[in-house]
Amino acid sequence: MAPARALRAGRTRYAMGYPTRWRRMSAAVLQIQALGLGVSVQDHGRVGWRRFGVPLGGVMDAHAATWANRLLNNPSGAALLEFLLQGARICFLRETWVALSGADASCGFPLWRAMRMRHGDIMEFPRHRTGVWTYLAVQGGLAIRPRLGSRSTYAPACLGQILKPGDIMDGEPAPAFDLPHGVASRLAPALEQRDYARPPAFRVWPAPQTESFSAEALASFFSSEWTVSSQSNRVGYRLTGRALSSALLPWSEPVRVGAIQVPENGQPIVMMRDAPTIGGYPKLGTVDAADLSWLAQCCPGQHVRFVPVGAWPALE
Amino acid sequence: MKWIAYGPDAWLLQFADKLNDHAFTRARAITRELEQRPPEGLIEFVPAFTSILLEFAQGSFDEAQRKELASRLNRARAVSMARVRAKEIAVCYDGPDLERVAAQGRLEVEQVIERHWRPVYKVYAVGFSPGFPYLGDLDRALHTPRLPSPRAHVPPGSVAIGGVHTGIYTVPGPGGWNLIGRTSARLFRWLAADREESGTSPFLLHSGDRVKFVRVAELPREATT
Repeated sequence: MAPARALRAGRTRYAMGYPTRWRRMSAAVLQIQALGLGVSVQDHGRVGWRRFGVPLGGVMDAHAATWANRLLNNPSGAALLEFLLQGARICFLRETWVALSGADASCGFPLWRAMRMRHGDIMEFPRHRTGVWTYLAVQGGLAIRPRLGSRSTYAPACLGQILKPGDIMDGEPAPAFDLPHGVASRLAPALEQRDYARPPAFRVWPAPQTESFSAEALASFFSSEWTVSSQSNRVGYRLTGRALSSALLPWSEPVRVGAIQVPENGQPIVMMRDAPTIGGYPKLGTVDAADLSWLAQCCPGQHVRFVPVGAWPALE
Repeated sequence: MKWIAYGPDAWLLQFADKLNDHAFTRARAITRELEQRPPEGLIEFVPAFTSILLEFAQGSFDEAQRKELASRLNRARAVSMARVRAKEIAVCYDGPDLERVAAQGRLEVEQVIERHWRPVYKVYAVGFSPGFPYLGDLDRALHTPRLPSPRAHVPPGSVAIGGVHTGIYTVPGPGGWNLIGRTSARLFRWLAADREESGTSPFLLHSGDRVKFVRVAELPREATT
């Protein structure tokens, strides 16, 4: 096998002989050319810092992000790009294996499939169709210095890399990836390629203030159809529908990702990855962690429903 | 103490129903016990005011383990308050909302300042934003509602009053509390290495700390941390 030489001065290393497990390539892998409605680096978030007011953060759709990394044999915690809806554009600076998953924004490349990009390839997301968040994983993951144990971005605390047009991103060194001989492609099983236009009813577990809601209010919550509001983002997804009565808590309590808080206007908010760590509104329930990745892909205007799981004495 | 299910693998433990010395020392005792002898499967805990969230790895914490932990946390004792050394924070009292706070409490501005720096405060919770401390107990005459609409940009280091608490903004961003002063103390050193690397926390204040404000005419050039 021919030696592979790094393009950056001072980082030359030769890979000789075979089987060659590591091939040192130029670290620069892609350039951000346009941010569109939003691009950020994310991984699975920061564990252990919420008691200091640092939100968990990380990918909004853990299911799609995990598949993008898995298709490339990346470590599960590898950092990837998370795109919001549409408008972003990137350019690849060298040949690399990548995988896209999550929302369909008409990028012209297949989702849920490992594929090889070439130097100079452009990838853009002109028009959102279904879902909200698209994920792009690169072979080995993005090389970003971790802060507080994670590579994910939390702009309010200057954690992670705040992207701007023109930024060049490096990839982590990775073992050579290729499809086995005779295999045409590697893709996620059909059942895993979610149709975000048709979400299931989301499971909700009881939460600390469940008992303070009347049986009628709870029954109304679970029998109603709720609409995802356009006032939704990485902090929380607001739901519009029949108002529920609510009052401030005497003292703020810790808020879990997935907790459903009901503020004074009676319209529930599902707390998402960048939600503040404590909150003063009563919590009607908490969305099951696995179902949250589905809910995150429901776009504004989309209708959603909830179903109780666990012990709900008021509903029996 | 009341345990409330918060999803399948998490619990909220409510250890007090009023915010006072008892709530503060209970929080310290529970936090210390969890730090020193964490139960198996515990991923993270988040204390706040009168309750604490405990999150466990899926399926790792059953009813028998919960009862055992409950009894252990019930027995946990904290050191007495007097032995908790207060962290000193220098403050220059020149905030734009001093008059507003004074008017609310029918005081002179000088009286507001004196009543603010005199007590030793307890950090009841850290949240809202990274490192932001909720301090009590604030002199009743200084209790002031939040601004009708928040400021778009509050600089870090701004000392403020919101409702029944006083606090210090730690990162640039919007804020609705009444600004009464400034500190050069760095509540959150976001460029600092993680605790594992440097051995010191990037956060100046933790839930369970005590704080003493020290009035200064001018802020020291260097950060006090």
